[in-house]
Amino acid sequence: MAAADVRDMLDLPAEGQPRPHKKQKVVEKRPEGITRELYALLGERAPPIAINENKYKGRPKWMNKSMAPFTNNARSDGLVLNHWQRKHESARPPVPTPAPAPSESQMEVDQPKEEEKEDVPKLPEQEYAFAKYNVKPRLPRRYTDDEYNRHLTSDDWSREETDYLVDLVTDYDIRWVLIADRYDYQPRMDSQPDANALVPAKHHRTMEQMKARYYYIAATMLSLEHPPSEMSEAEFELHEKMLKFDPDRERDRKELAALQLNRTADEVREEAMLLEELKRITSNEQNFITERRELYSRLEVPISVGNTTMYQSSAGLSQLLQTLLQADKSKKRRSILGDGAIQSPAGQTPTTAGGMGRADTPVTQAANKKGSITSRETNQMVRTLTPAEEARYGVQHHERVSAGVQFRSDRAQRLTQAKSNVQTQKLANALSELEIPVRLFMPTERVCKDFEKLIQSVNMLLDARKVSEKVESEIRVLEASKMERERKLREAAGISGPSADSGHPHVKKENEDGDTGVLGHSAAQGAQQGGGNHKRSASVLSAVSDKSNKRQRR
Amino acid sequence: MNPSNPPQAAEYGGDEVSAIVLDPGYSTTRAGFAGEDAPKSLIPTYYGKYNADGQEKLVFGDDIFVTPRPGLSIYNPIGKDGIVEDWDMAEKVWEHSFISRLTGTRAGNPFQNGLNDVSADELPTEMEVESEEKPLSDSPLLMTEPGWNPAKAREKTIEIAMEKWDTPAFYLARTGVLAAFASGKASALVIDIGASNISVTPIHDGMILKRGVQHSPLGGDYISSQIKAIFKANSPQPITITPHYLISSKSAVEAGQPPQVKYKTFPADKAPDASYRALLEERTLSEFKECVVQVWPGPTRLSAPSPTGVSNEDMARTTPGRPFEFPDGYNQVFGVDRFRAVESLFDAKAAIPDPDSAFPPPTPAQTIPELVKASLAGVDVDLRPHLLANVVVTGGSSLLYGFTDRLNHELMQMFPGPRVRVTAPGNTSERRFGSWIGGSILASLGTFHQMWISKKEYEEHGPNIVEKRCK
Repeated sequence: MAAADVRDMLDLPAEGQPRPHKKQKVVEKRPEGITRELYALLGERAPPIAINENKYKGRPKWMNKSMAPFTNNARSDGLVLNHWQRKHESARPPVPTPAPAPSESQMEVDQPKEEEKEDVPKLPEQEYAFAKYNVKPRLPRRYTDDEYNRHLTSDDWSREETDYLVDLVTDYDIRWVLIADRYDYQPRMDSQPDANALVPAKHHRTMEQMKARYYYIAATMLSLEHPPSEMSEAEFELHEKMLKFDPDRERDRKELAALQLNRTADEVREEAMLLEELKRITSNEQNFITERRELYSRLEVPISVGNTTMYQSSAGLSQLLQTLLQADKSKKRRSILGDGAIQSPAGQTPTTAGGMGRADTPVTQAANKKGSITSRETNQMVRTLTPAEEARYGVQHHERVSAGVQFRSDRAQRLTQAKSNVQTQKLANALSELEIPVRLFMPTERVCKDFEKLIQSVNMLLDARKVSEKVESEIRVLEASKMERERKLREAAGISGPSADSGHPHVKKENEDGDTGVLGHSAAQGAQQGGGNHKRSASVLSAVSDKSNKRQRR
Repeated sequence: MNPSNPPQAAEYGGDEVSAIVLDPGYSTTRAGFAGEDAPKSLIPTYYGKYNADGQEKLVFGDDIFVTPRPGLSIYNPIGKDGIVEDWDMAEKVWEHSFISRLTGTRAGNPFQNGLNDVSADELPTEMEVESEEKPLSDSPLLMTEPGWNPAKAREKTIEIAMEKWDTPAFYLARTGVLAAFASGKASALVIDIGASNISVTPIHDGMILKRGVQHSPLGGDYISSQIKAIFKANSPQPITITPHYLISSKSAVEAGQPPQVKYKTFPADKAPDASYRALLEERTLSEFKECVVQVWPGPTRLSAPSPTGVSNEDMARTTPGRPFEFPDGYNQVFGVDRFRAVESLFDAKAAIPDPDSAFPPPTPAQTIPELVKASLAGVDVDLRPHLLANVVVTGGSSLLYGFTDRLNHELMQMFPGPRVRVTAPGNTSERRFGSWIGGSILASLGTFHQMWISKKEYEEHGPNIVEKRCK
């Protein structure tokens, strides 16, 4: 960035003019070899030809090296070759005169009469740098004849072939691939007198056979050298490994490997597919595990200790929802989300489902009560139904609905439960006499309504009977006291008369009253009979009246 | 030293002993100093022979192409199977390869070299006759041989090197091994597409596996014969190749039109031999192979229908052709034919029949995929996947356009299970001189110098030592 840009940015006034460049003084160096006077005459222009003399600046790098003979300790024949070598590295004395030393004498193989050649330079004593890489594997000692005969004889392997094998192993440094490749044992003809007659069957040895034989020999030789008890750990391990070599198993393994190698493209594709599948499964599993772990960690959040039984009923649940919604609303009033959330269940409730009961959930009720304009509008958009349609679709309008979900049959059921057990029992008796089950089979709207009416009638009848019984007993008491009085009077006056006839019309009147009720004929009959029952047994009468008295008191 | 630890980078070391690497092939002979990246001397293995002044004269090197001397006939000391047949001439050709460029001829006796006028009586008779100078007396020599070289030929080679050339140290390495080394691999499956042979050589730990070595004669010369068959059946007119030396003048013609050419004629006694013409025709064919011939890239064979339902040959027809102008000016665009010339290297049935050809129709076992299969069948099963993952392609004819792609497809189809990886150097000279470069690397390694067969060992054990040492 130039200084002008910075000034521009900082609103600084621009400098009048750019700063003049510093004049670089070009001082031409006077070349050496020219006198100052002569150079002054040349003026500013340098001569077109460099006058500099080439100066010898030391020896180039390659001159530090010289062709020097060397021997290689890794060789047994003392071959002398020449290579380039740093001069200071070679500790040898300088070659006196190169000319008389014929170059080929250096190159030639060292001859035994080397000491006669005085001019051949003494070879450097230092070891050839690459000789150390001449390494051989450590092989067990070669067996002697005696050892072979005692420990190593085999029916399958002749001594000659064993020797051949061990030679090959030594030659190829136990590289079995190469050994098996080059193995070409020709049995000697003279060992088999009749071999000339027969073409000797080419005995093909597999690598496993060779390995088994050699390992057996090597292990035996190892244990001969050190008995297993004295072996070092590594040696013992090696010994065990060699003894345990199983050629059959190895052969089977190779057969399997060949099968694996020669698979068809389809098999390979299938395998690839299966592997892909496996990968997918494992990755899915991993995902599943992490998800589950997340879930667990979420579950470990402190759980509320409050009792949840109150939320287990449907009413409780809806109450909980209500409170939650309230809490939500108090937090953000009439949020769009809240409206939508509230709206949705109403939209989802199908009008045809009304047959099941309430068309509106308490939630929508609440929403309607709250009276958000949008919801009203949507309600108005719902077409109004004619009464016939309402009846058809089972649409109802409730004056007042208690909160929570309830079953229609529950309501009907509740009617059969009176305040006292005795009353309940009586209701049940009345229903069973009418052959109506306590729990309705088909609690449809109409059935429930009729059931309600029935129960009301039964209750009314029961009340009427109670009253009638009370009145009856009073009449009886009064009659009894009247008879007592009359008897006393008769006793006093000597007149006696029957009084039973007077009770009957009373009762009949009561029964007629019952018939005028809304109750159906059969119910009235039942009530009549019930009343009759009481009448039949005079002994229970007092008890019944006692109880009804008690109830009245309550 | 622990063998499981790899040596330090500084310990990998070259140590050059000015060894000469000689890589004789059927078509060319390569020679150069070890440690360089390309052979300094590249000469044809062919040599020419003619009579002049009643004396038989020999022509070596690139000179054989130059002058159509009267009666000049061309020979090759190496047989079709890559094994030397004419040892005397092979020795001379090989000697020419390093003398001409590398070592130079030794200065002879100045009295006898013809440059100095010395009267006969002044000739110092008492001067001891210097022992004949031998050309390689101060350079170790690394030579190459094909994997199927018989023991006799190997012994003969060391004999020549030790006794005729007087090399202080000698080694004989397999071309396959060296090509693998040139690709930096100690274990590989080397597919060598040469001039007279194609060979497949499995290498393990720097040694060939003899039971897996396979070779067949479907090399560059075979491809030339296939091209000739195509020329013979060419549609507008059969094409004859007229080498440049027979053409005096020519003028440009339209594609497919007969050439406007004036021929040079040689009287019968001045004309070179037919073999000379064949040699020069072969040069034109090489050019044709370089410019036009293409290997159908696969993945399926040229005769097979492609996955889209259109046959591959129709697909090949839709690709634009390639023009080629012959020495006589005739030129033509080659379409599907350029694929057909080499298809028989992969599919024996696709060979173009030609009764005049020197090559019998190839058998399926001679094709490259079958050679690879047979080669792998000959090695241990544990080794096969590793070899397939290290396929090295070398040889000049492998430079055919699209060859490695096709080879890759063929191998993958044949072995769908293991991983197949084909290594082919993109550099032309690295592909052509693969085995020479490997030899150059090997002979300049410090650790290799213990492997040489020294003159002393040769004298002790005789030529048989090569069997023991160069395993």
